[in-house]
Amino acid sequence: MSHTVLICDDAIFMRTMVGDILQQAGFEIVGEAETGVQAVEKYRQLRPDLVTMDIVMPDMGGIDAVREITKFDPQAKVLMCSAMGQQALVVEAIQAGAKDFVVKPFQPSRVLEAVQRVLG
Amino acid sequence: MDTARYAELFLTESQDNLSAINHALLELERTPTAREPVGALFRAVHTVKGMSATMGYTVVADLSHELETLLDLVRRGERQVSTALMDTLFAAADTLERAIELSVAGREDEVDAAETIAALRAAASSPRDGATVLAAPAKPKKRKRGGGAPVAAPAAITVRVSLEPGTPMPGVRAYLVLERAKRLGTVVHVAPAPETLDADTFAGRLTIGIDTGASDVEIDRAIRSAGHVAEVAVTRAGALDAEQRPASPNAAGARSGANAGRASELVPSRQHRHIRIDLHRLDTLMNLIGELVITRGRLQQLAMAIGDPALTEAVTQTSRLVADLQDGIMTSRMVPVWQVFDRFPRVVRDAARALGKQVDFVVDGQEIELDRSLLDEIGDPIVHLLRNAIDHGLETPDERVRAGKSPTGRLMLVAARDRSAVVIRVTDDGKGIDRDRVLARAQEMGLVESTRTELTDDELMRIIGRPGFSTAAQVTDISGRGVGIDAVHTRVRALGGTVDMKSVKGEGTSVTVRLPVTLAIVRSLLARIGDETYAIPMTHVNETVQVERDTIRHVKGREVLILRDDVLPVVHLRDVVRLPRRDGGGGQVVVLEVADRRAGMVVDELTGQQEIVIKPFDAVKDGLSVFSGATILGDGVPALILDVSSLF
Repeated sequence: MSHTVLICDDAIFMRTMVGDILQQAGFEIVGEAETGVQAVEKYRQLRPDLVTMDIVMPDMGGIDAVREITKFDPQAKVLMCSAMGQQALVVEAIQAGAKDFVVKPFQPSRVLEAVQRVLG
Repeated sequence: MDTARYAELFLTESQDNLSAINHALLELERTPTAREPVGALFRAVHTVKGMSATMGYTVVADLSHELETLLDLVRRGERQVSTALMDTLFAAADTLERAIELSVAGREDEVDAAETIAALRAAASSPRDGATVLAAPAKPKKRKRGGGAPVAAPAAITVRVSLEPGTPMPGVRAYLVLERAKRLGTVVHVAPAPETLDADTFAGRLTIGIDTGASDVEIDRAIRSAGHVAEVAVTRAGALDAEQRPASPNAAGARSGANAGRASELVPSRQHRHIRIDLHRLDTLMNLIGELVITRGRLQQLAMAIGDPALTEAVTQTSRLVADLQDGIMTSRMVPVWQVFDRFPRVVRDAARALGKQVDFVVDGQEIELDRSLLDEIGDPIVHLLRNAIDHGLETPDERVRAGKSPTGRLMLVAARDRSAVVIRVTDDGKGIDRDRVLARAQEMGLVESTRTELTDDELMRIIGRPGFSTAAQVTDISGRGVGIDAVHTRVRALGGTVDMKSVKGEGTSVTVRLPVTLAIVRSLLARIGDETYAIPMTHVNETVQVERDTIRHVKGREVLILRDDVLPVVHLRDVVRLPRRDGGGGQVVVLEVADRRAGMVVDELTGQQEIVIKPFDAVKDGLSVFSGATILGDGVPALILDVSSLF
């Protein structure tokens, strides 16, 4: 059975791209979120195997969303999607419970490697 | 994943690692208590394991996994290095090599690794089996520290981690590594400090001191799970002698750094910046430059005929550029001989063990460079020579002691550059060739007149080199079928080289192989017979002389040429190519030299010198064996290349 994924990003482009990469690799995209609040809601609702999380989002950022999600489910597997130059934020996200991270611009292989590590 | 694309890369990299494994094994056998060889072994095996698993070569992956498990025990001092263990490890390395080759060839199912895996498991599960320990056993681990109070905590372990170059946000990745380390146990110290990890200055190398009960393999696995980890080196302070224990975490880092440095010396310190190029591409370039050289010759002739100064100048300049280009391409094909010599220590060790000889093997001139294709060809002949030397040359330790020599024989392999040739010499200090026996046998076979009482080095080699000539008391696996030196001779001659041999009874034997530096382009003297032109490689041309017919004398029914104080045998190129001799006298004589022998060859006319490009020449199999190849001359006319050594 394929793994289910929730994609959280405020940009449609990024959601589409990440979605394509994961779909081609056989993942099932069960939901998308545009804000941190949505991300937390949808996580509770969908209980996906994996969450990809943008850091900067309106209405509760990615880091706070990770914190909320791991509070709800300590086993949650969250992969942070970061832009260059956000080192400190990524560290914060990891401290908040994120399992790994990828850096934009995304290379499909890198994304999939990171996903494997998170799920492994 | 489309693994076929990666198979070749996997093979080359695995071969590098196998070479490292063999070197480390030899090193370990020499210095059983040293830690570096085990570390190097572990890393190489680990790399092979990772690569083979990625490729889906499960047999190779399983085999390297078992090997890794055993090596981990050795590394932690839980297995001692014994002769039995070394044998198991050597055998496993051999099986691994075969498994890799077969897997890449798509014949993984032919690999028989069961026995090796069983042996590895047995060695891993049966500690201290009473086998001969090669050296003083490792000092027992210090169970007590400080004031003698028992310390329950496990030994402090230093883990050095390098991230892959180009890892995005290395600092954050290092932070993840640290998180993984924390799951293993208590992190005692970290360098650089965690607070500075997200700074841009972080260079991708992290040293972590950790107290954990995890094994090296577990640590390795955990750290690597953080992703983008290129290398993990685990050093256990507890396994060091008390004096060597690092005084501070920084010292620990420095020490393991030194270890890594030394271990990487096992894989030679020749780490220039390299790219891998398929040899076929270089061959194509070589062929093209060959065509260019031929065209240049034509161009020069045309320019000369036209005599226009501007044209001549342009042609001259082009010629120079072509020469530089040719030089550059030839240089790019040159590889240091260690690439092939690398496997010889193992060959020597195995042969010596099988024959019960003790051998001190010395290799010199590893940096000497040869054309890649030549080097590939010369490997087997050298193995022949080395095995011959161990089997027939070197005596057993008992024999040597009786002869007043050290029980350990000395075997030297030396490569050196000599003008436009490369000389490779195998020398042993063994018993030398028994000339009397060879002479007797030669006379028996009717090879030498029965009145002779002595053989020169030259004759000696020619007799020994005859197919089927052997005085070996018994045929062994190692050599002794009488084909050794003959096979070498044939192979080397095909490469345009020569072999010669010197031997002193009781003192040893030395065989010298002389090879051209490159195969493809040779400077040649052009000789004409009738309408045909023949090329004589300059490597064998000593000088040329103009002679009158009566300078050639007849001695004992043979034609000879008196040249200064020397008497040289004479051959006629017309005889060689089976054309009738010319009436009337004289002609040009080319004095040829092969090894230390000289002869004069009479030709109709010499027409000049030229760089010629050797073209593959199939006809040689069925036709006259006096030609080694063919070429196309500057004027577009084909010419045959004379195999000078076949004339002697």
